[in-house]
Amino acid sequence: MKKFMALVCIGLAVPMTQAEETNEVEQLKRQLQQMQENFDRVQREQKEQIDSLSKQLDALLRQQQAAAAVTSAPPVAASPEQLKELNERVDHVVEAQKKVRPNEFNPSIGLVGETVFSYRTKSSVETGSDRPGGFDVFQRSVELNVAASVDPFAKGYAVINATADSATGEAAATVEEAALQTTSLPWNLELKAGRFFGEFGRLGYIHDHELPFVNRPLVLDQYIGGESRTDGAQVNWLLPTPHYVSLTVGLGDQFGGDSPNPNDPGTTRHFSAVNYFGRLSTYFDLTPNWQLESGVSGLWNPKTVDRGGVILQPDGSGFAERERRLAGLDVKLSYVPLRNNQFRSFTWGTEVLYSDNRYLVDPSGNFYPSAPPPGLSAETVGSLGLYSYVTYKWHRQWSAGFLFDWVQDAQNHSDETFAYSPYITWALTHWNQLRLQYTHTDHNAVSGLQPDDAIYLQWAWIIGSHAHGWQQR
Amino acid sequence: MKMKLFRLLSLAMIGVAAFVAQPAQAAKIHVVATLTDLADLTRNIGGDLVEVHSLATGVEDTHGVPMKPSFVPLMNRADLLVLVGFDCEHAFLPALLEASKNPRIQYGKPGYVDCSQGIAPLDVPKSTDHSEGDVHPYGNPHYMLDPILAKTAIQNIYKALVASAPQYEADFTRNRDAYLATLDAKITEWEKEVGPLKGMEFVSYHEEWEYFAERFGMKVFGTIELKPGVDPTPHHIENLISTMKVEHVPIVVREPQFPDKVPKLIAENTGAALVKLPIMPGGVPHTETYIEMMDYIIHTLLATQHK
Repeated sequence: MKKFMALVCIGLAVPMTQAEETNEVEQLKRQLQQMQENFDRVQREQKEQIDSLSKQLDALLRQQQAAAAVTSAPPVAASPEQLKELNERVDHVVEAQKKVRPNEFNPSIGLVGETVFSYRTKSSVETGSDRPGGFDVFQRSVELNVAASVDPFAKGYAVINATADSATGEAAATVEEAALQTTSLPWNLELKAGRFFGEFGRLGYIHDHELPFVNRPLVLDQYIGGESRTDGAQVNWLLPTPHYVSLTVGLGDQFGGDSPNPNDPGTTRHFSAVNYFGRLSTYFDLTPNWQLESGVSGLWNPKTVDRGGVILQPDGSGFAERERRLAGLDVKLSYVPLRNNQFRSFTWGTEVLYSDNRYLVDPSGNFYPSAPPPGLSAETVGSLGLYSYVTYKWHRQWSAGFLFDWVQDAQNHSDETFAYSPYITWALTHWNQLRLQYTHTDHNAVSGLQPDDAIYLQWAWIIGSHAHGWQQR
Repeated sequence: MKMKLFRLLSLAMIGVAAFVAQPAQAAKIHVVATLTDLADLTRNIGGDLVEVHSLATGVEDTHGVPMKPSFVPLMNRADLLVLVGFDCEHAFLPALLEASKNPRIQYGKPGYVDCSQGIAPLDVPKSTDHSEGDVHPYGNPHYMLDPILAKTAIQNIYKALVASAPQYEADFTRNRDAYLATLDAKITEWEKEVGPLKGMEFVSYHEEWEYFAERFGMKVFGTIELKPGVDPTPHHIENLISTMKVEHVPIVVREPQFPDKVPKLIAENTGAALVKLPIMPGGVPHTETYIEMMDYIIHTLLATQHK
């Protein structure tokens, strides 16, 4: 039995050994073939390199011969001037390498100054303005802008502004904006949180000195409260379509910068007392030089708590706001010639706002909002307002335009105000600009206010870093 | 009825299967170039494998391409953003980049292709104070008007394309080498042609021609702008005219994006030839490619010698 098993094992082992030998031979053959191929390839590549180098050498020799044929003068050593120039150039390059992007490590910092000289024919009592009549110098902005990347995922920025008080002249600094903005969210999203100018309409989130005219349009002042400042958060979504469509939604505990009593929440603020806002905008290239941008905006606070306090009306009644609703439509048509847009352009911009606030009305005008007497009626007032302007630029330094304002009072739509403002701008450079504007303001009989004429001279300047963001385009 | 339904379902399934089984089209690499010269170079290297859009059409100021929202979706889908660098695009690109919400092409990411990498800048300012105008902190950014430096840009674009799609390296290498061979031949031709222009001085509107002048042995005498981005004052124009007359400066160059009134006035008062030269392809008719543009520039300058 043992012998049989041994024979079987030998019988099996012989073919296996033969097979192994056959495999080894095949393997060696393959290796040899591979080496041959590698050798051929290396030889071919080296030949190509030799050919290329030979060609370069020939070309150089030909150039040298040609140079020698032109001049037989011996090579001249570099003069001290040439050496100095060369050293300077090297220094400049080293200097350039040392520089970093303005916002890479250190915050980019810029300062904007804006002074408005004016003369108004009527007193502040007659016009309802917060600035005095007659001659006035208003240091409207001393604005410090700071911005930098926070980390790979976000950037931060702040705008600290000091505005002179009309009575004392004292300029107290306030935080206009201080917000964090994400830079790498997926799905075309961008989140902004903190204090910022919320996206509503088109000029609501533009700082005063960047407006195309001296003063903020009346309808934005009255319905929004000046700049669209909010403490909150907003999300912007760029729709993943070939056509530009942008959607922004946000919320904040107040909306509008100038209101004296933004929105007192009491001891607890419920979600019903928060401002919700949003804007949907799009854009069309009408021709390579003509562009159209348009947007719709909305703002809603379901339960405002006496925003602006009790607002007394000419008839003696008092209004206390209970719900804030605002809708807007904005259009901008621009002629921006590709060839010389720094020298020539035309813009027509219009924004229409519809305010539909609900008020608690006390005919006597002396109720206390925190504990209003029973039986007061609520009234919803629908008011409309708009501004429309054209600006034509005919020179890199010169542009002129006309602004028309019309607004119905938010508490009384019969009370109407009109304003007409031609203006001319001299931008000596990008950082130094003067603007002259005349404004005639008129009111209808309901308001009880007087018509007014005013001349403004605005001087705005910038030092340090100043970059226009996407919203300021 | 059941049979009909079965047949319909079978047909639908075959249709779906046929649709699914279609050979997948190879996705192209989406490239946005800020200027037309970079777009042309990218097309030459990328061939059919890339889809290239240029933000500029060629007639714009390289520092002032209008920020159109229609650029945003293009940049949002881009795999690569090819730019000049040295802050050339500082007035429009940062805001567009932010609006694009595309993390692939942001500064520092592989899709952010700064073609100035490896180029030694000229005219690096010692100070970026605005008293010197709208200076570029990293130096003069108009190096693309030097075809030798354009070769560095070509290499930067090539490397970015290879990094983006390594499977096509052989194609990109072949295209690049072919284009470089053509460009090298043209450079040799241009260097021969510019002989009569050697040492010649000229005035331009903006500091656009420093690299070109250095490459081809010409000299920039001065600029019509008082400082970069700052319009000339009457005193500056007067000075320029009188010094040009003394030095017999024979050429005034106007770039297409600037008005011709002042250059014309200077040319008339000095007897210099006024020429309009493109600063990127498409700036004037028949300059659709980089090579055509360089041809046009050199031949137009040479033509002033025959007048």
